[in-house]
Amino acid sequence: MSTTAGALADVGRGIVERDRDRGVLAVWMVIFTESSLFIALFSAYFLLGNDKQRWTINEPPKLGYALALLVILVASSFVLHWGEKQVKKGKYLKARVIMAVTFVMGLIFLGLQSYEYLDHWRHLDPVSNSYGSIFYTITTFHAAHVIVGLLVILFVLFLPHNSDSPDSPYRPYHVASLYWHFVDVVWIFVVLILYVIPNGMIYAH
Amino acid sequence: MSTATVEQRLTEIWETPKGLWGWLTTVDHKELGKRYIFTAIVVLLVGGVEALIMRLQLAQPHESLLTPEMYDQIFTMHGMTMIFWYASPILTGFSVFLIPLLIGARDMAYPRLNAFTYWSYLASAILLYVAPCMGQAPHAGWFAYTPYTLSQFSPARGMDFYVFSLIFLTISTTGGAINFITTILRHRAPGMSISKMPLLCYSTGTISVAVLFSLPALTADCVFLYLDRHWGTHFFTLAGGGVELMWQQLFWFFGHPWVYIIFIPALGMISMMVPTFARRPIVGYPYIAIATVLTGVVGFSVWLHHMFAVGMSDMVMSFFSAGSMLVSIFTIIQIFAWVATFWKGKIVLTTSMLYVLGGIVTLVIGGLSGVYTGIIPVDWQVHDTYFVVAHIHYVLMGGNVFPVFAGIYYWFPKMTGKMLNEKAGKWSFWISFIGFNVGFFPMHLLGFAGMPRRIYTYVAATGQGPMNMFVTVGAFVFGIGILISILNFLICMKKGKIAGKNPWNASTLEWDTDSPPAPYATVHIPTVVSRDPLWDDHDESYDPDDIRIYDNGRQTLSTTWIDAEPFAIAQMPSESFAPLLLAITLFVFFIALTFDLMWLALSFFVVSFFVCCYWMWQRPEPEPKPHPKEYAS
Repeated sequence: MSTTAGALADVGRGIVERDRDRGVLAVWMVIFTESSLFIALFSAYFLLGNDKQRWTINEPPKLGYALALLVILVASSFVLHWGEKQVKKGKYLKARVIMAVTFVMGLIFLGLQSYEYLDHWRHLDPVSNSYGSIFYTITTFHAAHVIVGLLVILFVLFLPHNSDSPDSPYRPYHVASLYWHFVDVVWIFVVLILYVIPNGMIYAH
Repeated sequence: MSTATVEQRLTEIWETPKGLWGWLTTVDHKELGKRYIFTAIVVLLVGGVEALIMRLQLAQPHESLLTPEMYDQIFTMHGMTMIFWYASPILTGFSVFLIPLLIGARDMAYPRLNAFTYWSYLASAILLYVAPCMGQAPHAGWFAYTPYTLSQFSPARGMDFYVFSLIFLTISTTGGAINFITTILRHRAPGMSISKMPLLCYSTGTISVAVLFSLPALTADCVFLYLDRHWGTHFFTLAGGGVELMWQQLFWFFGHPWVYIIFIPALGMISMMVPTFARRPIVGYPYIAIATVLTGVVGFSVWLHHMFAVGMSDMVMSFFSAGSMLVSIFTIIQIFAWVATFWKGKIVLTTSMLYVLGGIVTLVIGGLSGVYTGIIPVDWQVHDTYFVVAHIHYVLMGGNVFPVFAGIYYWFPKMTGKMLNEKAGKWSFWISFIGFNVGFFPMHLLGFAGMPRRIYTYVAATGQGPMNMFVTVGAFVFGIGILISILNFLICMKKGKIAGKNPWNASTLEWDTDSPPAPYATVHIPTVVSRDPLWDDHDESYDPDDIRIYDNGRQTLSTTWIDAEPFAIAQMPSESFAPLLLAITLFVFFIALTFDLMWLALSFFVVSFFVCCYWMWQRPEPEPKPHPKEYAS
């Protein structure tokens, strides 16, 4: 080895900064493994539909609700991202208010989805057939993730210090918003796979 | 500042408080690693007793020790116990204990998560074993094929225990994987670039990624099964448009990577021991590292070889047959590297080394019978026979049990400060090795002769009686061999010879700490310049200006993931009751789901949210200050 012992005497000198991104890494890995969960669910959706002549084509779920829900959720993601920018600028109170707005938007999402369920339930329920089973399972899994995301937001909302200062070893606001964006992205895939494609297939036939 | 005060101060910072409270709240990876190993060995003994009961039932034709239903429950519990609650957690235990020491960190990246994964592992094991106490254990084999597991054929609660104890264990395993990945990629000692890190880090890192990607398939599968059983959905029922084979697809998508998850880290442990006992650096380090990672990757394209007999297109089966052949090459690369290390080195035949050699021989036999079963026509011939039973046991003994015992003989001095008795160890090895081969080799022949697996008895006319008696005797001899080692552990924990820092004169960083290691591991975070830090000229703890002591609260270094250059100081959390509390809450949550107590489950979901809040609530911590010496220089 060319490195002599003396050359390594200085290793670590001057390093006083705190490691703030350790927790963020864990959240990325949670997102990775949860994505795998949704990949498994979507695989089940395709596998169940694989040998069927009329997989969802007769009565695809209504696109209108899904798109309205999509708009709400994507908008809430942008709102939360705006809030995170306020944290970086040091406007903590404003960031907190924005987070509360996101929370309300999430609640609206859940309310509207319940309304969609009530409407949809008249034609289809989870025990009618395998399509109903997987449709309600995927959307309910997503709703469960929305609820978890809302709980995380609620926690950060009441946290005494959600500052993003270099002194803090934690980045709670960032973590909450990362998870929320993930929930948002999953919904985009849900809309594409469960709503848009089956509705498009109608025109294809 | 004299050295004595530094040590006292670091001990004060890192030590777990004495007494019951300290025992319940500890986040020390050394303590948790030992607990993992202890618990997993208890689980191993329970699973072993189940195996011996089965062998008694099968010793002769027409025996009636067990009813068919009891036999089904016992073989299922044996499989689940060994594959899920022993094989993976014991390797997690070794990695939890060793990896921070190996890479010169003072704890895992997320110490409280580490405590939580241990407690939830323990709680899930308890949840699983509530089932046989009620006489309603799962009874459909460890892979629980539908439709037999649906409620009309399995009305008892056994399969619900299966579903929820596995989902619970999945949470624990996923948490562990996240912890390993961050620890390995972020807290390696300065200078330990990715091409210099110990091979155990490669194997544990690889399987951790595999865990994150594969376990959700099992979770989804278990959720589907639960919904079908309790809510009348149609995932697996043909009548409602379900697909029965979907269970197998999702299960094996998880299941085959799981096979690698439960033996790759053990191969990593072998790669740690081989250089020590061959007295030279390992041959082909980069090849072993790459082969390890590739096993993890290609391990995702072989799962259908468990399903060759269900009827699929030739094209699909050929692809998965080829994948299965390909993956064996990566294991062979590692085996050749070890053999080459022996060839070039000078072998020291300790007990640990005997277990390593026994493990390699057993693994090669199991690997070869694996190549047999990867060939589609042969697979059809031996499918669901004792040949497969022999194969899985050769792979898991060679790829898990023997390396684990080698690992215990090797690292016991580090964990307890005491040496194990070598003479008893060698007796234990030879008895268990001979007993194992006597017990399991004839199973290949029984399989060729057509004896199906999972039958509770057989008729005398098959002529398989004598061979089965032979197998039973072998199994008991094997059990005696294992027991000798267990007694050896128990006795030497108290009465063994004092080990000293580095009894094997090994090369990796864990041997640079005291035996057992001090709570803070080393006074100075070490620096590393080669793959065998203790065999080179560089002094790992050379730190004339006391820069890398970090005695300002629980701190360790964060380094970049490729070059391991330090960039920040990581503040580590202190003891907490929250991890245990969360494990208990989840235990109640899952047991409520098992018994259909939905309101109880819902309320404990809410409780677990508040426990998480208590866990994550930020308490004031000391302001980070540069070390006083830095001002002086």
